[in-house]
Amino acid sequence: MTSPPEPSGVGTGPAAAVADDVRAAADQVVVTLARLVRDGEVTCHGVNSIVPALALMLARQGHAPSARQISIGGGLDGMPPSLPRSSSGSGWLSGSPVVLSNVDVYQLALRGRVDLMLLGCVQVDAHGRVNSTVIGSFDRPEVRLPGGGGAAVLFQVVRRIVVYRTRHEPRALPIAVDFVTATGNLDRVVTPLAVFRATPGGLKLEGFQPGASLDAVRTRTGFAVVPTEDCAPVPPPTVAERQLLERLDPDRLRDLDFL
Amino acid sequence: MTGLRAASLGVPFEPVPGFVGTDLPATADFRTVKDPWTGEEIYVVPALRPRWALLHVQEADARGNARILGSPGYDLLMAAAADQVILTAERIIETEELARTPELTGISDLTVAAVVEAPGGARPGDCPGHYDVDGAAIRRYLEAARTAEGLAAYLEAER
Repeated sequence: MTSPPEPSGVGTGPAAAVADDVRAAADQVVVTLARLVRDGEVTCHGVNSIVPALALMLARQGHAPSARQISIGGGLDGMPPSLPRSSSGSGWLSGSPVVLSNVDVYQLALRGRVDLMLLGCVQVDAHGRVNSTVIGSFDRPEVRLPGGGGAAVLFQVVRRIVVYRTRHEPRALPIAVDFVTATGNLDRVVTPLAVFRATPGGLKLEGFQPGASLDAVRTRTGFAVVPTEDCAPVPPPTVAERQLLERLDPDRLRDLDFL
Repeated sequence: MTGLRAASLGVPFEPVPGFVGTDLPATADFRTVKDPWTGEEIYVVPALRPRWALLHVQEADARGNARILGSPGYDLLMAAAADQVILTAERIIETEELARTPELTGISDLTVAAVVEAPGGARPGDCPGHYDVDGAAIRRYLEAARTAEGLAAYLEAER
């Protein structure tokens, strides 16, 4: 595999050096996240979240024109002319009628006014519990992770939480996480191979992504994979979705998280 | 303020210093809790969660994004504590105008249920940048409001 290109300068993406399978995975995860947005929902994305931010824009320009998009950088329904390199950057204020402080955003969430949040994570287990804190023990960690950034609260006050992984591998989807950073209103887990639905009995396989099979998902998942009754293949990006993605992110910043 | 702030944060109560030795806690059902770290007693105030906040602003767009010029007083806290907000505005402006300087917007439309164009809506109180307190009008109001007929006549005359 080729080494990832140096991220250099605002607006430049990884472009042509990225392998086709990485590009396909990035596109598939973004469109899968976008399709989970319901029209009219108040949605929110955090920092370091180009994939969720792009998915929310895709949904707003497609099937969910009345969905609201709060950026943790302060924008409401921002429509940056080009995709900002950072999801907390001031570009998300473009077109926004208001600047929401972090306190404003948390107040909205704490009062139950945020319907959907898309969040990345490092581990998510069979019970739908998320770890973004530490691999190994808390006091003697193998890897100290960035932390939940409010997820412990947000999972219990936001109506629906969708988490995504840019890689689907057994240690990322274990039977039990090493540390419970957040648990609560998890709705779906999206990866390049699969979509899991959170049920009272734990995560169940709702769909497998193009190119993946039930066997492939089972091999790459740490916990026992149980399909839902309506488990089905997830359709690849439509022509319309591809065109929107190309327009919103022509430099393919979305690929960076998948390298 | 403490009750409204508890509501704005979605918590059932919030501690507040003071009130010790006064008769006020008994009149408003303030109770004490023990600080789990120091063991000291402190009053807590229950969340005050209004169904509506009615706020008068200088400028709002039709969706309910609004600028408050001058001191916001408790307006932003009331907006955050209430279930929903009704705005009256001196003037309705375009969303694009707000988007040029979004940092001046104090209230977002996410919790606003209605916007009413109401120039003079804060009279006989003041509205910074538009008009000052009208003492004579307040005296007229106090006199008129002694009877229901008088109040109706006052409101008609001030429209």
